[in-house]
Amino acid sequence: MLGYLFRDFRRPASERPSIVWWVFVALLAATLVYLPHQLGLAGLMDLSVIFVLALLALSMSFLWGYIGMLSFGQTVFFGMGGYVYAVAAMNWGTTTLPFLLGILLPMAFAVLLGFFMIYGRLSDIYFSVMTLVLTLILNKAMRATSGSQFVVGDVRLNGQNGIPGVPPLQVPWNPTVTLFIDHVYYLSGAILILVYVGLRLLLTTPFGRIMVGVRENEKRIELLGYNSRRYKLVAFVLSGGLAGLSGTLFAIWGNFVAPEMFGLGRAAEVIIWVIVGGKATLIGPIVGVGLIQYLTTWLGMQGVGQVTLILGMILIIFVLLFKEGLVPTVGNLLVRVLGVKSNDAAKKRDHK
Amino acid sequence: MSTRSETIIETHQLVKSFGGVQATDKVDFALKEGELRCVIGPNGAGKSTFFKLLTGQIIPTSGKILFAGQDVTGLPSHKIARLGVGIKNQKPDVFDGLLVRENLWLAAQFAHDKAGAEHQVDKVIDRLQLGSLAHRLVGELAHGQRQWVEIGMVMAREPRLILLDEPSAGMSQDERVRTADLLKELNRTTTIVVVEHDMQFIKRIADIVTVFHRGAILREAHVDVVLKDPEVRNVYLGRTEVV
Repeated sequence: MLGYLFRDFRRPASERPSIVWWVFVALLAATLVYLPHQLGLAGLMDLSVIFVLALLALSMSFLWGYIGMLSFGQTVFFGMGGYVYAVAAMNWGTTTLPFLLGILLPMAFAVLLGFFMIYGRLSDIYFSVMTLVLTLILNKAMRATSGSQFVVGDVRLNGQNGIPGVPPLQVPWNPTVTLFIDHVYYLSGAILILVYVGLRLLLTTPFGRIMVGVRENEKRIELLGYNSRRYKLVAFVLSGGLAGLSGTLFAIWGNFVAPEMFGLGRAAEVIIWVIVGGKATLIGPIVGVGLIQYLTTWLGMQGVGQVTLILGMILIIFVLLFKEGLVPTVGNLLVRVLGVKSNDAAKKRDHK
Repeated sequence: MSTRSETIIETHQLVKSFGGVQATDKVDFALKEGELRCVIGPNGAGKSTFFKLLTGQIIPTSGKILFAGQDVTGLPSHKIARLGVGIKNQKPDVFDGLLVRENLWLAAQFAHDKAGAEHQVDKVIDRLQLGSLAHRLVGELAHGQRQWVEIGMVMAREPRLILLDEPSAGMSQDERVRTADLLKELNRTTTIVVVEHDMQFIKRIADIVTVFHRGAILREAHVDVVLKDPEVRNVYLGRTEVV
């Protein structure tokens, strides 16, 4: 079963997922429902943040792994989503519209940014550098808002201290009821599963298949009549929305936003998650987030001070020894050991 | 809708300079719908640059390109492709990380609906005898097979004008004969321009041949006349015996 599942992870993205994959998704959903009976509130909070950050990792791997655009600055949209939700919810006293704005405003910003970068024919490396620089600028800018003049409505931005007391999400049809820790766990888990399934199915549509074509050979895609820039822009906007959603949920989860959401540390973490998990599959980055977050917490509990140093070493080890990432490497091993009839095409694809 | 006697593509005084070098030099070229034209010339004569100009891969320095009477000078590649121009570049320009079938589907999908694209892919696979390769990665195929895949991609879109830059390069003799036969069959419904070096191949398919030399058109005449022309013999491969 496991071997067949890993073989399914490596199927061409254009092929519809198999019944084994659907069973896997159903099991994930069942586990999501079952776990609260076993874990305390602290455990649920730890899992919730993994779900939330997995959305951020997916936003990057979707862009990098499937259309070939390496954005170092997905934290631009992550931070923006969080701040938009926080400021709007605290000003308006309602949370449904701020929640939606936390997704839509980052998307609108991605339209603007993507238009100039993609239609300006910025090369891949400059695209990556620009996104990184932008997140650093926003981080710096938010840190410089500690003065009392930096107020949006009634909310002070507070500079590097961030904004505490971000309101919890209200039930849209009954605003007097707000979501508690376990509700945030269910919400973020359900959203993660929906996004995972949605992206997997999107890749089987003509849009998804053309996206992969752009990754493989942009010139040929153009010579076939497709406007590659339009596909790149749409993918960039979708991934911006996904990162915005992640940032919004992060603000709801922690009741707090701070300039670190835009920071270099967070931006580097996203890259580590995706490289460790493997960008050739959609499940890889989710596993990467889970593993790295667990490791970070565990190292912290053991009193290890240099967590960042250890994460950097893990990144180097994976880049040098397991270039495909954990999920494809383990998948290849399992398929070989368990003797599952392999798909050579998928194996070669992983090595790219 | 144009008739087969109408000019499908023409260039006027087309110039492309790279620094101080003129890759194409005031090229006046015209092709009637339904023709199968061969373009020959020594390496560096400007043939591939000319194809890239026609398909919008590079922008001309000056001059004009008309497709079916419409000025397409400076249009991006995808817009020219949409008008009905398909190209196979000199080096196989395919999706190496995708299956043969996926490559063909990406080409067919643009011009067909969902069911139509799948049908078109099956038709091309059948016509080019690619059945045994359909589920293999293009990147792991031999050079000649990749050429076939690219030709298949051009066919799958059913363009009005097909430009083929050295379609038989890297193919066995049998494959060259098959390719020549395929082009003649395609020419019943499509206008084709072929850049080639293989004279046997050219004699098999062409009537009119255009000779490029130093970025300009040196001769344009029937294949038999061109191959006997002393100046063509002199410039082309620098030898007297072209065949």
